[in-house]
Amino acid sequence: MKEFGPLIHSFWYLLRGAEMTVLMATSAVVPATILGVLLSLLHVFGGRLLRSAILGYLFLIRGIPLLVLLTFVYYLLPLTGIDLPPFWGVVLVISLYYAAFISEVFRAGILSLPQAQWDAARSLGMTRGLLLQIVILPQALRLAAPPYVSLCVSLVKATSLVSIVGLWELTMASREVVERTLAPFQIFIGAAAIYFCICYTLALYGRHLERRVLLGH
Amino acid sequence: MGGTLNDASSSAIELAPTRQQRPMLEIAGLRKRFGSVEVLRDVSLAVSPGEVVVVIGPSGSGKTTLLRCTNLLEEYEHGTIMIDGEPIGYRIDGRSGRRARMSEREIAKARERIGMVFQSFNLFPHMNVLQNIVAAPVRVKRIERRQAEARARELLAMVGLSDKAAEHPIRLSGGQQQRVAIARALAMDPKIMLFDEITSALDPELVGEVLAAMQQLASDGMTMVVVTHEMSFARDIADRIVFMDGGVIVEEGKPDQLLFAPQTERVRAFLKRYNDRYRI
Repeated sequence: MKEFGPLIHSFWYLLRGAEMTVLMATSAVVPATILGVLLSLLHVFGGRLLRSAILGYLFLIRGIPLLVLLTFVYYLLPLTGIDLPPFWGVVLVISLYYAAFISEVFRAGILSLPQAQWDAARSLGMTRGLLLQIVILPQALRLAAPPYVSLCVSLVKATSLVSIVGLWELTMASREVVERTLAPFQIFIGAAAIYFCICYTLALYGRHLERRVLLGH
Repeated sequence: MGGTLNDASSSAIELAPTRQQRPMLEIAGLRKRFGSVEVLRDVSLAVSPGEVVVVIGPSGSGKTTLLRCTNLLEEYEHGTIMIDGEPIGYRIDGRSGRRARMSEREIAKARERIGMVFQSFNLFPHMNVLQNIVAAPVRVKRIERRQAEARARELLAMVGLSDKAAEHPIRLSGGQQQRVAIARALAMDPKIMLFDEITSALDPELVGEVLAAMQQLASDGMTMVVVTHEMSFARDIADRIVFMDGGVIVEEGKPDQLLFAPQTERVRAFLKRYNDRYRI
């Protein structure tokens, strides 16, 4: 137990880092979700030009690692004269990055609904907006919920990359403690355990949603 | 239901319309292709108010496409479709004679007058039975929810499902789901009902309950176009039977005439094959 002394002594410090991780993840997941749903709708229902533009964006995001994007924007923003606090700069990059993946999850949800549901709604006199609102989206969102939660778990873990550009959160806090205590294994075991608790809670929620979706259909 | 269709005596041919009113449904010169395949070739059909027209024919003859074109679930290339004197889908410009597609909103409005029931029920799985029935009246026709629910309960009683209002579709049998689908279509108070092989996906034991609901509807005076393979039912319910093959109407007539004394070789061959197989 003596070996874990550095971890016990710095645990509250790590928890404060975890608090920042959760804050950052939450700040990113909300705009990422809104943008993701919007992109998925435009991708399915937009004109050809719009669909091509969205497809280009998706391929671009898929082809570039998040760390490269974070570093690029970190250096780019000051050059463009945009005075964005580093926290919000990072939140912006993570949001734009995950919006692309979230949009694909929701698009799959929309497209996986049988044509028969569209036919039934149309035959009842529903306009496209109304049938989307009360028939298609409620079902598509339920279908997309489990993979969406998986993406949220991935987003939480991705926040650990921002320590590279100097932002303080759980991973950065852990590195600071390691530099002070020279106990990398104990500290990173502690950090891993905290990440695991956050992500496992989310994953459990995802499993719960999955069961509900399976029962509902 | 015993005996074969061909063993009855022929009846007089009465193709002249029995009613003088404006047709509830008037299809003229309808043409529709899927790629290079022409599935409807100049189909014309008029259905009077209160009339029950049953469409029969082999698979791929264009029956379902005809119904789907009627409420524009399928676009068509040529022809006109009128419901109670008003066009659906396209209107012809009086001067230029050009065909112009109606707006989505106009088409949606026109569909309110046409009820459709599908082979695979197509209930909304995330809503319970009552919500399925009131969704369109409340959100499309802007009927007050309480009033729509009262009407929905009446319709559920009519199809014998009063006790299922709070159930989700997944908990219902196929026959029950199909009766809910009928109630859902009726809740929009349509002028005409289209039924697309609605018993084909059901257990033989569940077919009767759905056909009984349709029979009730027919006796209440609803105008109906029914695509079915149930020949006995067609004989019982139809005012007129239309036989389609290869995208055209080959023959039409009163049930006894078409089923027991067909005029064309094609219908005779179809009925013979049907009788050999099912011995109704």
